Amino acid sequence: MASQSDESREKTRHALTASTFVEIVDTLVGDFDVIEVLTLLSARCVELLDASAAGILLADASGRLRVIGASTEQIELLELFQIQNDDGPCLECFRTGATVMNGDLRAPSPWPEFAIESVRAGFPSVCAVPLRLNDVILGCLNLFLSVPALLSPQDVALAQALADVASIAIVQDEVTRKAAIREGQLRRALDSRIAIEQAKGMIAERGRVDMDEAFSLLRAFARNNNRGLSEVAESLVAGTITIDSLAQVRRPPRPPSRGG
Amino acid sequence: MNLEQSTRIAVALGREAARSSSLCGVCVEVLVVAGAGITIMGGRQTGPVCVSNKRMAALEDLQFVSGVGPCQDAFRFGHPVHAPRFDASAVSRWPTFVDLANASGVGAVFAYPLTNNGAKVGVLTIYQDHEGDLTDAQNDDSVALVEVLTETVLSLQDAAPVGTLAAELEDSVLYRAQIYQASGMVAVQLHTSVADALVRIRAHAFGNARTVTEVAADIVTRRLRLGDDPTDREGEV
Repeated sequence: MASQSDESREKTRHALTASTFVEIVDTLVGDFDVIEVLTLLSARCVELLDASAAGILLADASGRLRVIGASTEQIELLELFQIQNDDGPCLECFRTGATVMNGDLRAPSPWPEFAIESVRAGFPSVCAVPLRLNDVILGCLNLFLSVPALLSPQDVALAQALADVASIAIVQDEVTRKAAIREGQLRRALDSRIAIEQAKGMIAERGRVDMDEAFSLLRAFARNNNRGLSEVAESLVAGTITIDSLAQVRRPPRPPSRGG
Repeated sequence: MNLEQSTRIAVALGREAARSSSLCGVCVEVLVVAGAGITIMGGRQTGPVCVSNKRMAALEDLQFVSGVGPCQDAFRFGHPVHAPRFDASAVSRWPTFVDLANASGVGAVFAYPLTNNGAKVGVLTIYQDHEGDLTDAQNDDSVALVEVLTETVLSLQDAAPVGTLAAELEDSVLYRAQIYQASGMVAVQLHTSVADALVRIRAHAFGNARTVTEVAADIVTRRLRLGDDPTDREGEV
């Protein structure tokens, strides 16, 4: 009996998990409201996971955290308490980008003041997962448990997966895509400019010439071979062309003496 | 790109300021702070577009070598990092940075990533001589500046020929040009990659209590050859 009901509960959970992902992904198409996506996220977390309540913090442009969604007013107050005290598991998660968990806040913890408040509110266990895109930490999703137990690894993984999809929703719009392209162009231009300096050093060392002469040799090789300066420099640094293939740059015999 | 009129005007003025190398001066004036630095960051390579004084340049160098400091954190995490005083938490996060900041009379550091719509191009760092938070007005102004500076950097690069770094941003590479050149030389001397060569240069600098900039200058002027030093060759310092 029990196992059958467990099984059907598990089936329901699978179905709800799948539909939650679909719901969040759906919001990516066309106009959507970030707050709506995050409210959906916090509601589904409570349904899907062994968490009794959830809250979501997002950083504004100045890096200040704001409470964006909370499944109850109590949670909103707990989140505000952490922001005001500048301390707590959610703040730690935001600062480090790592998942922060504590299964029993009645025991000594790194955040004694928050622990007292959380236990008083009926949540002796907490888990904070980051809302992140690549390395950028956008905020965090905080799960509160009414029993003193760690959230299971499966639940943590699912929470992070939901948080990741929601993070894409937060930043995925046309303006963001354009910005990413421009950032990539800047980064590539920087990298090739740096490669030119590195290539100059390589040629100067092999050819026993100064940096200006090394640059002339690099430029001459690029011209003679109808290739771009940065491209030649990058190939040289990457080792896909050798310095000796820059014909003029052959190691001359060592000078007989250093003095004079 | 749908910029507010005021932002568009500010960006146009920002490009002009960048051309006359006065971007940092403008930041200091607008925010009323002791010093400011703007660093362009492309992956792991970083370089300042401008710094308003030498003390900050040294702090910036230290973060480049160690990879640890408030600017690095601000860029990595994409949100501002405030260190209004160098308390125990600051010391544990950036021990050598705090040492040098204390020694050079810097009391507080505020690092804002130059980010807009998810694009990250660098960091605006604000330095104060004394401990204490920025005022709300200064913080608001910094946030507004970040938007303008990010767009300024990106629009300068937009105007450059494809694949070429905008002339106004060249300083960010030229500032460390000798380090890049020295890496190229050491790569040939030791038959390693340029990245490994930089590691050797850093190790040599660390082992001889010198800065990477000094060691690089000696290598480029051929006063120092890492290949001649067996300890450098083996990478043991």
